[in-house]
Amino acid sequence: MVEFKLPDIGEGMTEAEILQWFVKEGDEVEQDEPVLEIQTDKVSAELTAPKAGIIDQIFFKEGETVEVEATLFTIRSSDEAPQETVSSSPKAEEKQQEEERPKNESTSIPAPTNRLKRALATPYVRQLARELNIDIDEVEGTGPIGRVLEEDLYRFKEGASETKETKPVTSQTEAATPTPVPATSGGERRIPLKGIRKTIAERMVKSVQTIPHVTHMDELEIDALRKLRHSMKEYYESKGVKITYLPFFVKAVVAALKEFEYFNASVDDETNEIVLKDYYHIGIATDTEHGLVVPVIRDADKKSIVEIAEEINELATLARKGQLRVDQMTGSTFTISNVGPVGGNLATPIINHPEVAILALHKITPRTVVKDWESVIRWMMNISLSFDHRIIDGVLAVKFTNYIIERLENPNLLFMEMR
Amino acid sequence: MVVGEVRTEVDVAVIGGGPGGYAAAIRLGQLGKSVVLIEKENVGGVCLNKGCIPSKALIHTASKFEELSRVEDMGIQLQEKATMDLGKWQERKKRIISQLTSGIQHLCNKNGVTIVEGKAYFLSDDRIGVETSGDFEVYQFENAIIATGSEPAPVPFATIDHEYILNSTSALELTEVPDSLLIVGGGYIGMELGMALAKLGSDVTVVEVAERILPATSKHLTKEVVKKAKRLGMTIQTSTYVDSMEVENEQVVVTLREGDTTKKQTFAKAIVTIGRTPRTKELGLEQIGVTMDERGFIPIDETCRTNIPHLFAIGDITAGPALAHKATKQGIVAAEVIGGLPSAVDSPFIPYAIFTDPEIAGVGMTVEEAKEEGYEVKTAHFPFQANGMALATDAQDGFVEVIVDKETHLLLGCHIVGKNASQLIGEGVLGLELGVRAEDIALTVHPHPTLTEGWTEVTQAILGKAIHILN
Repeated sequence: MVEFKLPDIGEGMTEAEILQWFVKEGDEVEQDEPVLEIQTDKVSAELTAPKAGIIDQIFFKEGETVEVEATLFTIRSSDEAPQETVSSSPKAEEKQQEEERPKNESTSIPAPTNRLKRALATPYVRQLARELNIDIDEVEGTGPIGRVLEEDLYRFKEGASETKETKPVTSQTEAATPTPVPATSGGERRIPLKGIRKTIAERMVKSVQTIPHVTHMDELEIDALRKLRHSMKEYYESKGVKITYLPFFVKAVVAALKEFEYFNASVDDETNEIVLKDYYHIGIATDTEHGLVVPVIRDADKKSIVEIAEEINELATLARKGQLRVDQMTGSTFTISNVGPVGGNLATPIINHPEVAILALHKITPRTVVKDWESVIRWMMNISLSFDHRIIDGVLAVKFTNYIIERLENPNLLFMEMR
Repeated sequence: MVVGEVRTEVDVAVIGGGPGGYAAAIRLGQLGKSVVLIEKENVGGVCLNKGCIPSKALIHTASKFEELSRVEDMGIQLQEKATMDLGKWQERKKRIISQLTSGIQHLCNKNGVTIVEGKAYFLSDDRIGVETSGDFEVYQFENAIIATGSEPAPVPFATIDHEYILNSTSALELTEVPDSLLIVGGGYIGMELGMALAKLGSDVTVVEVAERILPATSKHLTKEVVKKAKRLGMTIQTSTYVDSMEVENEQVVVTLREGDTTKKQTFAKAIVTIGRTPRTKELGLEQIGVTMDERGFIPIDETCRTNIPHLFAIGDITAGPALAHKATKQGIVAAEVIGGLPSAVDSPFIPYAIFTDPEIAGVGMTVEEAKEEGYEVKTAHFPFQANGMALATDAQDGFVEVIVDKETHLLLGCHIVGKNASQLIGEGVLGLELGVRAEDIALTVHPHPTLTEGWTEVTQAILGKAIHILN
């Protein structure tokens, strides 16, 4: 009999949701045959049978959230007898054990904590800490002279659940049940903030809380690039590659990043240092059914426009299927959000922390513009660049944007600068 | 049906109806638990029946009586010399006690607490027997709270006969003021009772083994009390031992020894107040395996749990000061923990109050303790002589003292000597619990004219800007 426990499949995951079982109890499986599909807050993955045999017991239902190291199923050899246990899940047994603490069992007594020097906090906050099951001495207080405030506890709690908290197993179906609302109200639905959505929420809050955002906006003429793209499109389509504007944008951004190194950077808040990077991994914000994910084109400076085009297509497909690996969606040094195809004129994008800038590209439209004192119609596009004003000043941001605009208005420059 | 003992099942048995036990029982009732509160004497415990409350009634009366000798300079003329009828006072004392105990009974009743009068004994770790008048009842419980309190410590050198040689309990039963009185033990109980009876006209001698009275309190806080005791004509003999104590011819004859010299003295009565001892014997605690230390105290954690997880201990039978407010807090915490709430006794800020004249009260660290904890301290004093209300109401003796962290001005401790020290300290307790700094108090407007202005002044003094004293 082999117990299959939920493995840690990357980046400190603590729990995962069971999306689908491909087998049921009693099914025969081959080694490496997919048994179930799980979804963490970052990725989804198929887990396969560690050996050939018969699925003996399945402990969790689809939709349930389980923590790392929890036994998901057991598998027995074809000649082994089935396990004769009651089909209760391990969590139920644990709970029972907890309740039936043997009465007369003497325990050692931890010393009371009413010592003279202690974390600074009001009695209310102390009580709240107990209710949240937090050791108040571990919380860094942000109040006057290090006082632990109510919000410090909530922040600490959030931090803990991100990294190390061992949550009790909860059933998703239960959590998703809408809280009944009084009939008199207009009605509302409650959807648990979890998975990718939760990660997005946490990252956005972190970014906005840490980074003083400034957004610089400008417009550029796209006619030349448009012509170039059209002339190349057919040729590459025959080779199975779809050429969009995006790979050109990526290339122009990389050129600008090389010229303005402070945009390819991050801030190490702990050491108070600016970290300049000599590798160029460009994140591409991508919309999926579950929410925003950011696949990464690694070493974009070393790839041709065609290679970048191919890679974007691949990653976008994987992203929409929820099949990106962790290493395909981490480590970007600058992010591009190409919302133009969907629509919209201007935006104030939120920086993908710990990066220091993000570029949003908007819809390409024909507009009346003035050229040589004449009104003419040109294909125009707006761009919005949010940057971290801690390390980048406005003038530099304008110069950075101008550099990009120059290369997109005159794509020959990209060709000339190509290595 | 099994013939044998009939037992009543309850969620919780609380043993002892003092300020810890009854608070626990009421809180348990609020939390929907079925509770039996077992008390062998009277609900309210020592505190209410023969401690805090009756002693404060005596001290109050004594203060009033003593003030009468000093009212002339206020312009009050008395036609006759005031006299004291302690027998009459006993009636008042009983009225106060019965009003309070019936209040507690009423509250217990309304919160669904069953009070059983009798002596309790643990039969096992989930059953307790109660000897009531002529009956024996057994209760089976899920949890128990042991709150049996303390009693005067046994006296090795004398037999307490409660007629001539008294303890703190029988002292409060006096119906006449003794002409002469020996107090053995100059701790807070001895000094409170000694000063009260001195004010009522007794010739009081206090003997104390340590080199000063109130040895558990910082010396500079006790000076005013020593001064006042002398003004009341009390004799204080420190570093003095009682070698023997006998009753001869309806008088107490004692041999006192100080260094190498011994002397024989005679007193009308003697009160022995040499400390209290936890009541953890004769409860069957050893048999069921509750851990106790060599002095009979029960070790507990911050939820008041003993080494047996479903048994809790609170009050004087646990380590630390034997104070009613400590017991009450513990009782509530134990009840809430049993009720499944995340409660804990987590505060080091248990205030003390000594009802001598003047009173002494304090909370938090002393200068020495603060230094031990690694603080650099700053202290300030404000004497009540610089306070208008104190002068107007004959409360000029004493001062407010605060101890703060030198750098942050975080309040670390405060100690007050003065007429209403026990009332005034409340602000300090709250201040410490809220983690205030000297500035917080200094910037708070206190009402004039009151003694509470001492808080403003003393914290302003920390900041070098007190108005009514020189900085």
